[in-house]
Amino acid sequence: MSDRKLPRLLQTPAVLLLLVWMLVPLGMTLYFSFIRYVLNSLRRPEWTTPSLSNWRGFGNYEFVLKSKDFVLAIQNSLFIVCSILFLTVILGILIAVLINKSFPGQGIVRVLLISPFFVMPAVNAVLWINMILDPVLGLQGIAVAGINDLLEGLRQMPVLGGFFSLWPEFEPISFRATQTSAIAVIMMVTWQWTPFAVLIFMTSLQSEDQQQKEAAVLDGAGTWSQFRFLTLPHLGRPIAIVVMIQAIFHLSLYAEIEIVSRGNGNKNLPYLIGEFANNNIGAASATGIFAVILANIVAIFLLRMVGKTLME
Amino acid sequence: MGRIVLDQVSKRFGDVEVIPPLDLTIEDGEFAVFVGPSGCGKSTLLRMIAGLEDLTSGNIEIDGENVTEVPPSKRGLAMVFQSYALYPHMTVRKNIGFPLRMEKMEQAEIDKRVETAAQSLNLVDYLDRKPGQLSGGQRQRVAIGRAIVRDPSAFLFDEPLSNLDAALRVGMRLEISEMHERMRTTMIYVTHDQVEAMTMANKIVVLQAGRIEQVGSPLDLYHKPQNVFVAGFIGSPKMNIFSGPEAEKHGAHTIGIRPEHTDVSMTEGTWEGRVGVAEHLGSDTFIHVHDTGLADMVTVRITGDISVKHGDKIFLTPRADQIHRFDAQGQRIA
Repeated sequence: MSDRKLPRLLQTPAVLLLLVWMLVPLGMTLYFSFIRYVLNSLRRPEWTTPSLSNWRGFGNYEFVLKSKDFVLAIQNSLFIVCSILFLTVILGILIAVLINKSFPGQGIVRVLLISPFFVMPAVNAVLWINMILDPVLGLQGIAVAGINDLLEGLRQMPVLGGFFSLWPEFEPISFRATQTSAIAVIMMVTWQWTPFAVLIFMTSLQSEDQQQKEAAVLDGAGTWSQFRFLTLPHLGRPIAIVVMIQAIFHLSLYAEIEIVSRGNGNKNLPYLIGEFANNNIGAASATGIFAVILANIVAIFLLRMVGKTLME
Repeated sequence: MGRIVLDQVSKRFGDVEVIPPLDLTIEDGEFAVFVGPSGCGKSTLLRMIAGLEDLTSGNIEIDGENVTEVPPSKRGLAMVFQSYALYPHMTVRKNIGFPLRMEKMEQAEIDKRVETAAQSLNLVDYLDRKPGQLSGGQRQRVAIGRAIVRDPSAFLFDEPLSNLDAALRVGMRLEISEMHERMRTTMIYVTHDQVEAMTMANKIVVLQAGRIEQVGSPLDLYHKPQNVFVAGFIGSPKMNIFSGPEAEKHGAHTIGIRPEHTDVSMTEGTWEGRVGVAEHLGSDTFIHVHDTGLADMVTVRITGDISVKHGDKIFLTPRADQIHRFDAQGQRIA
């Protein structure tokens, strides 16, 4: 046996397992996306078993493309992912720079900052939508009611009352509504994932060369210039990593959307797949293939970006 | 211009007094070298002059102006760091131009100055590279370039050559000396290497545990070390220092004799000993002599070559006029 054959042979089981692991589900999804396959149909019972005789060609794809929710789902997926990325990176950098300085109670603050990351996504969603964002019982409702009560009291004042009576009554916002539920999802996921960004940026900040900063101080760079010309370029790689990992995770958000609005006006691709999968496996599979394509486009775009920063 | 005066300057880190109050004047255009063993406070002192460390007490004056409370960038000093501290994400051009950019100078003027500095440092071909693509010596040049463009009143060097290999170090040593001759700007140079100190300085400041042991020209320090520490620190190989009966013969508590001021004979001399290791350098020979009864080992330096074997009997004769005498406190007896 030659030198090369043995290692190849030893690798084979792992490679085969990985191939099977990936190819079988992908192949089945592709297969289902080209046939008529539903879970329950009284009218056409032959569609309830997957079979090549139910071949539909690109019919499932057409059906998905024409369904009113599809474009919304793609838009929503991108909107939610991009917003979360933007917010977590900005907040992550700000918090990481802030707590990078040493101060009393640093250890406790750091642990507390990381803790949202350990909350389960479903629990996170329930906490936010019921206890914080609820327009009546949540923190938001209580706060708005409190402000309104205060305003009411001010209106009773002798002279200034007239001024305050010009102010409108504040309305709490319902975050389960069509227009706002995506915002609620963005808020709660940002809250949960900012610690992840903080953690990565903080470790990176600690490896920053202090002599470079001293050199910059002598060169006349102020705090902002040091941040702009030294810290930010230094964080380029970790930012790329945070963006890539989070993009992959957040394209598949599901629990938060289910809990906030049950997809009411706020579907993303995974949620749409879930809806189709209640009965129409063919359409769900076709949507799944669209999701694979979208994820690949995003991944290629991100890998390029990461690659670029790594090259520097 | 660049006359730097330290007046009762001291530094404490918590309870530890790193630098007890000290006075020092560095004249305009001087090349001053702070030398001493690791942890003697020489780098701290330099950083205090630069403004990177606060003073616990005392004042620093540059050109007659008290700069104790002046921020580092306004002191008109430029510093070259041991790790070069180049900005890794910027090209060489941007690195050298950075201090000018921070001064909000016009781009055309920046380009002109960077070009001039790059020419004088042989960096023109590397201007568009990043520091990661340069060798150690080139990085060091970029760091010096970044200091030069600011046209500072004094340059501060913090062990700038210790990351370079031996051959490059000798070359850069010459370049920095050459630069000083050309520019005649005040330079303060920190090193633990007494060879660098001897070869480059106009004025050497020997430090130990934060105290100044002696200030003087290289030859002053060589010929008239004020105390035992300076005597042992300056000169290579080290001066032989011993106390006891032999020292008392010369009316001192301790005496020292440099290896090059001892004559060697195989037949007769003042001190008798046994040859240990002989190091043949071609131009010189260092012989380590044992069993003299003076110290564990006495080193002698002979110009040229001599054939001695390990274990040979050898006689040493110190040149009487070259014996350094010190009292019980280690101070020089005139």
